[in-house]
Amino acid sequence: MIGLMQFFNSYVTSGHGGGGEKETMYDVVMHHLCDHVLTGGFIGKINETYLNEKLFGIFDMRITKWVLMLWIAFFIMMLVFIPLGRKIKKAKSGSKSRWVNMWEALIGFVHDEVVEPNFDHKYIKTAMPYFLTVFFYILFCNFAGLVPGASTATGNLGVTLGLAIFTLFFMIFIGTVKQGPLWIFKGIVPHGIPFVMYFLLWPIEIAGLIIKPFALTVRLFANMTAGHIVIIIFIYLVMMFQNLWVGIGSVTGSLMIYLLELLVAFIQAYIFTTLSAMFIGQSMHAH
Amino acid sequence: MAVIKEGLLKVDPGLFLWTVITFAVLVLLLWKTAWRPIVDALDARAEKVRGDIENAENARVEAEKVLSVHRQEMAKAKDDAADIIAKGREEAEKMKNEIVEKANKEASTIVDRARKEIDLAKENALSDIKNEVVLLSTEIASKIISKNINPDDQKALVQEALNKMRTVQ
Repeated sequence: MIGLMQFFNSYVTSGHGGGGEKETMYDVVMHHLCDHVLTGGFIGKINETYLNEKLFGIFDMRITKWVLMLWIAFFIMMLVFIPLGRKIKKAKSGSKSRWVNMWEALIGFVHDEVVEPNFDHKYIKTAMPYFLTVFFYILFCNFAGLVPGASTATGNLGVTLGLAIFTLFFMIFIGTVKQGPLWIFKGIVPHGIPFVMYFLLWPIEIAGLIIKPFALTVRLFANMTAGHIVIIIFIYLVMMFQNLWVGIGSVTGSLMIYLLELLVAFIQAYIFTTLSAMFIGQSMHAH
Repeated sequence: MAVIKEGLLKVDPGLFLWTVITFAVLVLLLWKTAWRPIVDALDARAEKVRGDIENAENARVEAEKVLSVHRQEMAKAKDDAADIIAKGREEAEKMKNEIVEKANKEASTIVDRARKEIDLAKENALSDIKNEVVLLSTEIASKIISKNINPDDQKALVQEALNKMRTVQ
């Protein structure tokens, strides 16, 4: 917690630093949307002592602001859902608490809208935990990113790729387990096509297999980033024009986009989860 | 390629790996501690609600069946009651007739007996009177005899007395 406070402190002061040097709009936007390695406080010390070496030569494991946001979402989820599980288990015929019922409604939403249409009845129970985690983790990251001063972990290609790679992994893993090891050669191409067409279609389907998670990656990243850019630029307009009326207009506009972002945060979490469920569900049956 | 190494579109391998690690740990932790109990509890509840609805439906069908049986029984009971009343009325009628008949019969026997008794009494009375008359006439005769009557007169007197008696009889 202390590390977190120090981090925010250093973040706020560094934002106004630069010793009178004029910041361009590009600098401001980039500062808000790009990752920084944490230097100050406890985490900075850990970075210096333990994580300075690159893992396997490529993975720079130093804890950055984005990693911290991932962990904040992680801990919020632990704090919300572990007690919730206990409460729901205890209340056999439904809890009276509004807090519990709110989460139950969201869990029911994931069950009815995401998992149930894409999976056979007997696999729903196995699939639920994964998709619940995907949905709520992205949702919490998105909302955590909307807190002023924080940053959106999902507005980074590294993070969205990390989430989408799980979808790719499960597509291949479940396809191989459910339809045999030759799934990658037979299962992904539609049945009943002429033999020659197979050589044409197979590369296309393989490309499709890769493109699906890639699309997930870019969609989530772009949606979360775009809104933030617009909010920051609206605010920057005030500094650019230094005019009361522009100030009122741009702050109002910024607020509108912010409210829109709240909606987008939910919609993108839903879309990412639904498409993941659709892709993984498809690889369970030959088509 | 410069864009991927720097700036907005940079894919940081370290961040990517942190995401994978964080997410995997989160899935595994919440799977055991939160999602399993939540999904189990919600499924159990859904199952229970479904069972309850089914039971309610069964109970409704059962109740309807029982109601219709009950209605039939009610109708039957009504019919039975009407039957019983009709039969009772008939029997009462019969009984009344019997009683009246019996009473009539008894009355007529009583009347007959009374008549017989009256006849008997009359006969007795007549015989009594006859005796009295004989006694009286004998007394009269003795009185006349004591007054010295001739045999013809005596004969006429006896004859007269006998005739009188016959007319009385």
